[in-house]
Amino acid sequence: MKELRRNMRLVGAAVVIAFIMLAGWFSFTVFEQGAIWASSSRNTRLRATSAQRGDIVDRNGNVLATTKDGERAYISNAFARRALATTVGDDRGMSGTGVESFHSAQLLDISDSLLERLSALLNGKSRRGNTVELTIDAPMTVELAQAFPSGYRGAVCVLNWKTGEVLAMVSMPNYDPLDVSSAEDTAFMNRCLQGLYTPGSVFKIVTLASALENDPNLAGQYFSCAGTWEYEGGSIVCLGREAHGTVSLERAFAKSCNVTFGKLAYQLGFGRLGATAARMGFGQSLRLSDFTLSTSRFPSGSNNMSDLVWAGIGQSTVLVTPMHMAMIAASVANGGTMIEPWTVRRVVSNTGLVVRMGGSNGSVNVMRGETAASVAQCMRTAVTSGTATRANIEGVTVCGKTGSAETSDDKTVETNAWFVGFIRESAHPYAVAVVIEQGGAGSRMATEVGRKALELAMERG
Amino acid sequence: MSKVASMRRALMRTNTRLLLSAVMLFQCSCMAVVAFRTGHVSAQCLMLSAALPLSTMLVTNLLGKLWPVDRAILILTLLLDSVGIITLSAIARSEVTPRTQAIYSAAGIVAMFAGVGFMRLFRHWKKLALPLALLCLAALASPWVMGAEKNGARNWVTIVPGVLTMQPSEFMKPVLILVLAAGFSNRPRFLRCLPTLAFAAACCAVLLSERDLGALLLYFLTTVSMFYAATSNAFLTLAGLGMGAGAAVIAYRSFEYVRDRIAIWQNPWVDPENTGYQLIQSLIAIGSGGLFGMGLGLGSPRNIPLYHSDFIFASLTEEFGLIFATCLLAVYVIVILRGLVAAMNARTSFHSLTAFGLSVLLGLQTMLIVGGNTKLLPLTGVTLPLISYGGSSLVSTFFSMGMLLGITGMNARDETRDIDQLALREEVAL
Repeated sequence: MKELRRNMRLVGAAVVIAFIMLAGWFSFTVFEQGAIWASSSRNTRLRATSAQRGDIVDRNGNVLATTKDGERAYISNAFARRALATTVGDDRGMSGTGVESFHSAQLLDISDSLLERLSALLNGKSRRGNTVELTIDAPMTVELAQAFPSGYRGAVCVLNWKTGEVLAMVSMPNYDPLDVSSAEDTAFMNRCLQGLYTPGSVFKIVTLASALENDPNLAGQYFSCAGTWEYEGGSIVCLGREAHGTVSLERAFAKSCNVTFGKLAYQLGFGRLGATAARMGFGQSLRLSDFTLSTSRFPSGSNNMSDLVWAGIGQSTVLVTPMHMAMIAASVANGGTMIEPWTVRRVVSNTGLVVRMGGSNGSVNVMRGETAASVAQCMRTAVTSGTATRANIEGVTVCGKTGSAETSDDKTVETNAWFVGFIRESAHPYAVAVVIEQGGAGSRMATEVGRKALELAMERG
Repeated sequence: MSKVASMRRALMRTNTRLLLSAVMLFQCSCMAVVAFRTGHVSAQCLMLSAALPLSTMLVTNLLGKLWPVDRAILILTLLLDSVGIITLSAIARSEVTPRTQAIYSAAGIVAMFAGVGFMRLFRHWKKLALPLALLCLAALASPWVMGAEKNGARNWVTIVPGVLTMQPSEFMKPVLILVLAAGFSNRPRFLRCLPTLAFAAACCAVLLSERDLGALLLYFLTTVSMFYAATSNAFLTLAGLGMGAGAAVIAYRSFEYVRDRIAIWQNPWVDPENTGYQLIQSLIAIGSGGLFGMGLGLGSPRNIPLYHSDFIFASLTEEFGLIFATCLLAVYVIVILRGLVAAMNARTSFHSLTAFGLSVLLGLQTMLIVGGNTKLLPLTGVTLPLISYGGSSLVSTFFSMGMLLGITGMNARDETRDIDQLALREEVAL
């Protein structure tokens, strides 16, 4: 009997300890992830709840979404409403990355302030959730949407490269949050965050940075370009087979010489180029506090020479989101430091209490300061006398890079047009990334939209 | 009885009265809240708000008068049962569900009295072990003869078609424990355990053939822990657990539905509309409840399939909140601890093992389903004891609790007798 008691005590203790662990795990996961679960788009409670959703306002206090008489109301102007739809989201949760879905826990205030709940109960008023203040500039977003060539698909995002604030995200086609049933295919996707595009020549920023990081003396060296270059296993050509002759690295970048950058990638090899790309966020899952980016890709695992050479000019299987490209441009402007972009300035409760302050949660050094300065200089040359001259704005130093990404081997298929750039003066710390699907080679359209975005940011900043 | 016994009772009374009144207050106020939650006042809820506390008081006093049972276990059992009725009143689609549950509870209370009586009257347990074992096996196999399939497991028996169905694996839990306790009592050597172990293995095999994984796991783990407690043979216990793990691996390899369950558990978000739906809705409900819950009747846990049976823990977490749910787990722990105390105090190894088995089974079952609801463990379809909707489980658990109470009553009686004898001896010595 004595032994029996001892054993029972042992097993009993194990059961009780297991219970305590269970309760601990249960509390911990609810504490850690409860709000995430509750704000899932699968939560039908979000549509019919006793609590009223709070407002969404932009950086200047313009109300983008509010609750009136139990109904969710958005901007009355249909064009503006559509332009901001992918940013703001909708009350049906169609756009998973929109503020309405991503921050629905804040908007609904499921955060359990017992005091507020009680006071709401005593007042007899229905509880109103928090107001989410964005860093987004709504009028600027609308103007950018107007400037976007009509009928085209694509994305524009504008960042402040010093602070990481996201000023505008345009994703085309967009949709009307009040009429989600008639939305076009893929309109619910915010292309800035979720659209994975072949970067084409804008990826040369990464290749250039990698080359300069590994050999700083490269900046003064010359390369020869005959318009085409044979490597073992294939050949690479410049746009229109144009021979650039003997060019400096800066010139090659400004003229977007494929041969030079193919050679650079070849010399760097997968290891070094892949390391730079990984440091800049390729292949990393970027789950930021205000949104999640689709994971950009670089073919690090490959050992095919063609993959390497073409990856150097942003072809092959390299894929990137426009927001990620804007972050890369911002890090060049910011002396090599990549700052986490953010969209929520602060969250204010119904009673005026600041529940959460927004801000960058951190930054990473992706390249040396000297490398960043050299890359910026090359991007400046591209604007003054290279492929991106259309991006020039009088009075400020615009640096930029164009890209025309072939999405298929078939040369008749039109290419995606890219522009990535920034203003170098820290009085106007803006960076932009534009992609226009099938926007044509030469990327004239994208460059013009990019210039417009920077002008608008300067004007409104 | 004697003076000592009456003093002992008086001491117990103050503590139990406090607990009893707290429980009654909880039952009454919760049901009143549910009754007045909408503009239309629910007559049934109002009736229950009176009936629950009154019946709790009545049962506690009556059973306490009849036998000196552990009233803490009794009151907490009734509390857990009423939490089930309250939650169902607040969330169920129709009023029939809580009403049925209340009727089942009444039947359960009768079963609890029967359990107490059974434990006290049942003296020749060695002789009864074999017929009980045969009954257990026959009952477990019965779904193959007159069974029905429900949620992928063939573990239901139709008694009267359309009216009365029951789940033999639930009813056989106390029987299993009795048979095991009888077989393992008096410190048997391994060879003498073999017939009992063979019986347990046969039970598990039948359950496996019916795909009742939850019950299978419970039967297995209960057998192993009782075997260990009775024989203190750590080597064989570990070997048994290892065999169980091996069987689990084989089951994972060979059965599609086991693989599915594990895959859902690992990541339910892969297929949120089909296979992962249950678990995701459960997590969403728990998350929506937050610390203090959405409020009784204000949540919408009905999005979860099986919100009233397998997922009632998620439902009541949404309604009552995280803190309440954690306290509820604490109530289970207290019941289990009191049950273990009863096991420690029992005079014969048979009673000791029975009380131990019942407590451990209660604990394992609760953990299995709470873990399943919260994505700690893969989901197995067992009920949350005393709370989940369903007659079989409720009546069977009440019967088990009755057996446990019977053992506590016998312990108290024995103890009083000891004290009296001691007192007598002292008097003689003086």
